[in-house]
Amino acid sequence: MKKTIYIFNDGQLKRKGNTLYFETEENSKYLPVEDIGEILVFGEVTLNKKFLEFVSQKEIIIHYFSHYGYYMGSFYPREHLNSGFIILKQAENYLNAEKRIFLARQFVRGAARNIRQVLKYYNNRIGGLTETIENVSELTGMLADCDDVSKLMALEGNIRDYYYKQFDKITNNPDFKFEERTRRPPKNHINTLISFGNSIMYTIVLSEIYKTHLDPRIGYLHTTNFRKFSLNLDIAEIFKPILIDRVIFSLLAKKMITVADFEEFANGIMMKERAKKIFLQELDTKLKTTIKHKSIGRQVSYRRIIRLELYKLEKHLMGEVEYEPFVAQW
Amino acid sequence: MFVILVYDINVKRVAKVLKTVRKYLHWVQNSVFEGEISKANYQKLKTEIRNIINNEEDSVIIYVFRTLQYSSREIMGIEKGGEDIFL
Repeated sequence: MKKTIYIFNDGQLKRKGNTLYFETEENSKYLPVEDIGEILVFGEVTLNKKFLEFVSQKEIIIHYFSHYGYYMGSFYPREHLNSGFIILKQAENYLNAEKRIFLARQFVRGAARNIRQVLKYYNNRIGGLTETIENVSELTGMLADCDDVSKLMALEGNIRDYYYKQFDKITNNPDFKFEERTRRPPKNHINTLISFGNSIMYTIVLSEIYKTHLDPRIGYLHTTNFRKFSLNLDIAEIFKPILIDRVIFSLLAKKMITVADFEEFANGIMMKERAKKIFLQELDTKLKTTIKHKSIGRQVSYRRIIRLELYKLEKHLMGEVEYEPFVAQW
Repeated sequence: MFVILVYDINVKRVAKVLKTVRKYLHWVQNSVFEGEISKANYQKLKTEIRNIINNEEDSVIIYVFRTLQYSSREIMGIEKGGEDIFL
């Protein structure tokens, strides 16, 4: 599987000797172009058109993050897997209210079931979450009757509220009290971790979409609008609880990140470079972790599972197999 | 799969081989590269090397590991190169 490179230092990205080359004031390094799938840029990086042409040709996506760790945008190379057929099917499924609500509901259902799995795991370990699990299950049951996307979003919000209320119990760390979900900017440490993790999750799914025929601009749960990608947001919903939240819980349980790894800015809180690196390292390891896949019957990495999810969506759009979201089994 | 590639090439061609291998693997130290590589890229790499080297004078050895289980990597002295996902 091709690697992800994370750039924190300031420097120049170049094309050199038919491969990629990163040069800083202190040192320089060649990156094997054939082994790189995406580059996440956090530092100040200069690059030129020759470089962009080259990564475009090699189908490498570059994602940019601001100084505060916010997702700013991507260099999305020319689509290399073009399929007018899939785009038409995607649009058709969006425009037909019934078809759209079906997919939107499946995404929420997947997210809710995975939230339930995470809660169940911690209920076995620390107990006291039975009531929340019941509440989540009950709300998940109500999804079937929900025939409006905005109601669906509200329902998902309610599920997440129940879920987030248990974060303090799960993390059991007074430094990382949840209180309430805050965004733009996140106002406490745990919210900062969630926001950072989610924005990385969106880019990972976007990178995977790039390797399929799907068009990331047409989403179902998240309204397709004029400015941005939305299909990656839909798919990310399913994986956020089992990838991002689990990474956060394990980072906090092992005390790998502490409050000293954060700093205040404006009226929010941001992570320092060390914390970002530790987070990304854990997530990278998690994405490479393989699990036995039920229907394929062999070991596949989480990253692969994200791609398989997109293939399932393609099959659904083509009318071959109805889409069922991935649900973790443990 | 994971490979370790070492070479001993006549100075006339060494730069060419170096540049070719850099596209696929991580430089570790002089004449040594390593890294994960797909089967397809492994074939591509071998073909490219084959087209450059002179079979009478040059030598390239590739150690292939199916997985890195039951292996470890120790470094003595300074670490010159290798794979790093953070830059």
